[in-house]
Amino acid sequence: MLRCEAVGKRYGGGRWVLRDVNMDVAMGDVLAVVGSNGSGKSTLLRILVGLSQPTTGSVSGRPSRIGYVPDRFTGHDRISAIGYLTHMGRIRGLSGSAARARGHHLLERLSLVGGWEAPLRTLSKGKAQKVALAQALLVQPELLVLDEPWSGLDASAHGVLAEFIDEVAAQGGAVVFTDHREAITETHARGSYTISDGRVTSRGGRHAGSRTSMVELVLTVPPGVMPIAVNWSVLPGVTETAQRGGEVVLRVAREHSDAVLLTALQHRWSVASVAGTADERSCRADVRETAR
Amino acid sequence: MIALVRYMFTVLLLSQRYLAPLLLFLGLVAVLTSSDTGPLTATYASVAGAMLPCSVWLTMTLIGLEDQAHRSIVVVSAGGPLRVLLATVGTAATWCLLLLSAGLVLPLLFGTHTPGLADLALGTVAQLTSACTGMAIGVICSRLVFRRQGYALVLALVLLLAMLLGKGVTPVNILLTHLQNASDSADTLAPTGALLAVTTGILAAAVAMTHAITCRKA
Repeated sequence: MLRCEAVGKRYGGGRWVLRDVNMDVAMGDVLAVVGSNGSGKSTLLRILVGLSQPTTGSVSGRPSRIGYVPDRFTGHDRISAIGYLTHMGRIRGLSGSAARARGHHLLERLSLVGGWEAPLRTLSKGKAQKVALAQALLVQPELLVLDEPWSGLDASAHGVLAEFIDEVAAQGGAVVFTDHREAITETHARGSYTISDGRVTSRGGRHAGSRTSMVELVLTVPPGVMPIAVNWSVLPGVTETAQRGGEVVLRVAREHSDAVLLTALQHRWSVASVAGTADERSCRADVRETAR
Repeated sequence: MIALVRYMFTVLLLSQRYLAPLLLFLGLVAVLTSSDTGPLTATYASVAGAMLPCSVWLTMTLIGLEDQAHRSIVVVSAGGPLRVLLATVGTAATWCLLLLSAGLVLPLLFGTHTPGLADLALGTVAQLTSACTGMAIGVICSRLVFRRQGYALVLALVLLLAMLLGKGVTPVNILLTHLQNASDSADTLAPTGALLAVTTGILAAAVAMTHAITCRKA
């Protein structure tokens, strides 16, 4: 769908913020752009949504319905949150009442408490971020671009944001977001790009639907107790067993992981860690990293 | 486009920053036209002169209201910066029309006149000419072009003075001197209409220039 070819960007005669960026965003993709502060993530997103023109190269196939959440949304307006969403909905072609209803629905899901009628300027950072998120979803976007959407959001809103991302992807829309924490991008994205020194490199994608389909369990021997030996590989859902030092590492299908955990605990094993992983390759890579 | 204008109009209304230019306009009109018994052409010339700085101020204020993040969201929602810029000019024009109606009626209340249809038409066209020039200056001196509003303010004042004092060169100066010396509204309507056409062109050029500069800077 959206394709960046050899995109470069610099402001005036300054240094190159981005150089030779090639990026493909297909329908249903959830892509993360990871990079440190000032690495050019926001600039890349602004180019993707068409707010900024690339100095060199081209961007093609940009869809018409785009949702964009900027990194800062410091409302200084006296307009109320729901009033703002109604106006934004109208600008996107909804009728006033439809926009208002959709705005209500989104703010309810994001559980924006006590801020609906308050002027935007009085909202806290987190609340303003929720309003910014809601405006991007007033119409189902074909491309949803989020600039550090997790910063400032409370824990419950994290889950709702993940739901929103999944919904957009499920309806054939593409999602691109940035964050500087790899842990977050690992959980939410199905593919990621790393950006440093203005260069963007793909770190490979994961297949849609496979995310957190496997769970990696690490079991250890608790001090002072000898656990009962279990033939792990015959348990349902266990695809791989490995010994790593004194630990047993199991890979279990997500739907069977709770049963396997219970079995382990009943046999007096101690659980060292439980982690969701995507597919075989990434897990093997992780194991190799740890072994090194 | 209507939704955009409605949004921007509301934002300016709620911010109350329209008040200063509005009060300046009303004050100027009151001072320049009270107990005036002369021909309405000269009266409306004064009103048009008052419209010029107020329309510049309104336009600069309107564009300066929204910070970059808000504007980005509006641009993405509306589907392009040009639509947003045109809607901004539309909103400024709406505010100028409000001033214009006050500028038409108030002189009739403050002074002693017997207005005809031609007088009102002349008052409208003359004020529109000023408003177009003012909006053109306001757009060029806005935050879209100048990040630092101090420089923009200086440029706006220079342009304003140039427009008012540029003898026989600028449309506003031609308009004002022409109306001051005329006595019959019907006769002056046609040349004033021509000046309005010219200033509309100036406004269009200013918008095009601002759009080009914003795109380059973005």
